[in-house]
Amino acid sequence: MAIFESLLNTFETGSGFWNPIVWLVTILIIFLIIYILRGFGNKNYKINTEQVKPFLSGNPEYDKEKMHIKGSNIYWGFTESLKWIFDNLNKMHTGNTSDYILWFVVIISILFLVVGLI
Amino acid sequence: MSFIDFLLQHSPALIVAIPLLGAFLTPLISKINNRVRNVFVILIILITTILVMLLASDVFSGNIHTYVFGSQDLTVPLVRILFEVDAMSAFMAIIGSILLLVSVIYSWSFIDENSGLDKYYTLVLLLAAGMFGMMLTGDMFNFFVFLEITSIASCALIAFWTNKGKAVEAAFKYIVISSLAALFILFSIALLYGQYNALNIAVLGSVIQFSYLDKIALVLLIAALAMKAGIVPMHMWLPDAYGRAPASVTIILIGATQASLYGVFRVCFTLYGNTINLSSASIGWIIVLLGLITMLIGVAMALIQSDFKRLIAFSAVAEIGFIFLGIGTGLTLFANNQMFGLIGTTAMSGGIFHIINDSLDVGLLFLVAGAVYYATKETSLDKMGGLARHMKYTTIFFIIGLLAISGIPPMNGFASKLLIYESTFQLNPILSIVAILSSIMLLAVFVKVFHSAFLGPALPKFNGVKEVPKTMLFAMGIIASIIIIFGLFPDLVINNIVDPAVNALINYSDYIREVIPTFTGGF
Amino acid sequence: MDLAVVSQAALITIIGAIGVTIFGLIFGLFYKGVDRKLSAHMQGRIGPPLKQPFLDVIKLFTKENIVPENAISWVFNFVPLIGLVATISIILYLPIAGFDPLLYNKGDLILILYLLIIPSLSMVIGGFSSGSPYATIGAQREMATMIAYEFPLAIIIISIAWKLSIDGVSNVFSLSSIIAAPIWSTVGPLGFIGFIILLLSLIIVTPAELSKIPFDSPEAETEIAGGLLVEYSGRNLAMFYLTDGVKTIVMASLIVALFFPYNLSPLLGLESYLAFSVDIIFYLIKILLVILFSVTLIRVAIARLKIDQIVYTYWVPITLLSLVGLICIMWDQTIMTNFGLEPLFKMIGLI
Repeated sequence: MAIFESLLNTFETGSGFWNPIVWLVTILIIFLIIYILRGFGNKNYKINTEQVKPFLSGNPEYDKEKMHIKGSNIYWGFTESLKWIFDNLNKMHTGNTSDYILWFVVIISILFLVVGLI
Repeated sequence: MSFIDFLLQHSPALIVAIPLLGAFLTPLISKINNRVRNVFVILIILITTILVMLLASDVFSGNIHTYVFGSQDLTVPLVRILFEVDAMSAFMAIIGSILLLVSVIYSWSFIDENSGLDKYYTLVLLLAAGMFGMMLTGDMFNFFVFLEITSIASCALIAFWTNKGKAVEAAFKYIVISSLAALFILFSIALLYGQYNALNIAVLGSVIQFSYLDKIALVLLIAALAMKAGIVPMHMWLPDAYGRAPASVTIILIGATQASLYGVFRVCFTLYGNTINLSSASIGWIIVLLGLITMLIGVAMALIQSDFKRLIAFSAVAEIGFIFLGIGTGLTLFANNQMFGLIGTTAMSGGIFHIINDSLDVGLLFLVAGAVYYATKETSLDKMGGLARHMKYTTIFFIIGLLAISGIPPMNGFASKLLIYESTFQLNPILSIVAILSSIMLLAVFVKVFHSAFLGPALPKFNGVKEVPKTMLFAMGIIASIIIIFGLFPDLVINNIVDPAVNALINYSDYIREVIPTFTGGF
Repeated sequence: MDLAVVSQAALITIIGAIGVTIFGLIFGLFYKGVDRKLSAHMQGRIGPPLKQPFLDVIKLFTKENIVPENAISWVFNFVPLIGLVATISIILYLPIAGFDPLLYNKGDLILILYLLIIPSLSMVIGGFSSGSPYATIGAQREMATMIAYEFPLAIIIISIAWKLSIDGVSNVFSLSSIIAAPIWSTVGPLGFIGFIILLLSLIIVTPAELSKIPFDSPEAETEIAGGLLVEYSGRNLAMFYLTDGVKTIVMASLIVALFFPYNLSPLLGLESYLAFSVDIIFYLIKILLVILFSVTLIRVAIARLKIDQIVYTYWVPITLLSLVGLICIMWDQTIMTNFGLEPLFKMIGLI
């Protein structure tokens, strides 16, 4: 019983709580209800008809390769509006080993300043 | 004395010695048969893991283990090397052993098609010996030696796929950075040795004065070890190295990086423990700020990567920022007793808990990346798509990794991040805000991967792709189940594993008193 | 802790879970109807009847549930469920009608912040998994929007917790502590301005959290044909529809709990069941007002922004605004301790 109790313990951070087991139990109950509710819905559709083709506003579907949006195009809006940050970050990552060491020297000098040696 | 007691007493030495001896035996055993060699290596690591667990369970119950090589007579100076295992070392060793065990199981199929596997396994075991040595040693010079062993073994392993030029380039960068860091560490050890005529961490810790030379040594140690741990802006070798090494090696490299991280904390809290009130505020704030930029730049760079493993490497950098934030907050408040009791310990347990969570989450994701590479021979996200159709289990493991690294409840990442958010905000609200933001951006980073690698229409070129072999799935399954267990029972983990480690860092005088019983400083 | 206590707690949890499910679904749809009616009146239309959302759900349940050929079917079918379930579970941690949250010592504000991510995340993954270019574009926009508004949202939540921790409240992230110590009660003039600014930011964050105009570019019907929901139909779409309704209630309840946790019954001196019913009605009115201002009014008044404008709006003006709010609150503290009313009086010579 003691082990069982310690499994149910709430995780306390000093300013908040988190009890995963209770959350999991409630999630399961709610899931069950919603799953039953969902079961009342119509579950059929016509396989192998025009129905399952992707909706492209009437345009024809190209190769599957072309229909898959590539990883580097994702989050365009985000990178576009913060372009100046990403440009500078890219500029920082030169891939040049001497630059790597330069950063090390920079950090050492900052640390020297903070500790009060310079 | 029973056999278990005997093992326990000698385990600090055995944990390093068994992989080391195994490494030298591996080339001989590979002459017999590949299968025998694989079994042998797994066996070696398994024995080491069992020893680590045995030692850790004893250390967590409150005993600090010391192991003396050389003269047992403590009055004779300098003719011995001392291993000292407190709860923090044991905690790190647990992480290292889990990662190693998973890596060798994963390697069975993953690296199977390559030649030169006898060298591969030899190097893996050498790396294991170096990593455990760094975590368990109680001697500064010895720490440097093991750091060098780790660096050289890692360098060779990063370049394992020598037919790809970029792997060699990454290895070259890694060895330049590592040797530089190691040299600076050696230099600062010399500074300390010149002043105090001692190399043992406990002895140095008991006499340290925070003189001018000590300050130089502290700065050099922190900078060099932070570079080895991949702290922004000294992180740039890390994506190269992690991205180009085979996935089974990358997961051990995570352990080696964490060992350097452990070095930072050992230096700040134990070596300079006696003068911590002088240094804690300034050094603590520097560590907190480094943690903040590490998180932000790590996730921002991860967001725009298009190479699967490089992307994970940048998010690994970001995760290290969380650890620095948590432990740095603790260090900043160390001198302030009231605040430290209130939030410092919470922040530190968050940071230390995050060390293990970070290793597991990032490790799992690297293994998934390796599995995708194994199945498709692609690493660029732009060339993948629709793999969830063919690799259902890998996809599920990826989802677990995704949720865990971005700290979505009920995974383990949430528990440690919760501790960090709910303590650091009292030092300064901005710290928690940046941490929450970075965590959400990590989610975005991996949702992008989820889309571009696993979802989308079925690409004709991947029609023949099959699920990866069972050993690889098993290795991923081990990590995934630990992630879920840690996520569901965070309270148990905190009480039994993390809190002893936090207390070991805070009560540095216990560490010193184990070697010098007359030491009276500290609390 | 013996078996009786555990079983009692389990019973409360189970009944509570069933209760909030019913509450969330019904009131979510009801407020959706109210929102549509109000926005129609603002635009000079008559608008649909209040029960229209219920009819919509019933209609969706009778429609075919198409799984497109490009979709990964198990992900595609599973995520709508997860989104709805996670959203409903948030209600358990929120103070409803002025009562303490049902699981008041089992979860906190950060948990709510993270659980609020799950419905958006499920929409994103659902969109990605449908394998259609429109849905993919919509989904990545939703994710970008999410990163964008999470910055000010984090500032708001942490500021409130920081203020409470300075006031010496214990368990500052717990919702029951927050409603027990309303933030307005201890602030000075500068802090008051700070919290007003934070409230404004939260009201601007809410439409994005709920994917409403002007921040609905993930769904943008006119350009990407419904975006991340384009391939969804039938009961799966109904799940997302319900999620939207429940999430509206959750966000409104969160704003009420953080900024307006007051009850009417102590003021009127009521007791027992009368007090409960007055509080419940008062709470429902508060929710209505919050939805009116943060959802309906904004969505009628402003046109849709482009995705890069959304990110810019949140990361630059709104973030700066909430940082100003945070700084006001922090300064309020120093000013109150150093130059508060008492030192001020002393300085003048009144005391």
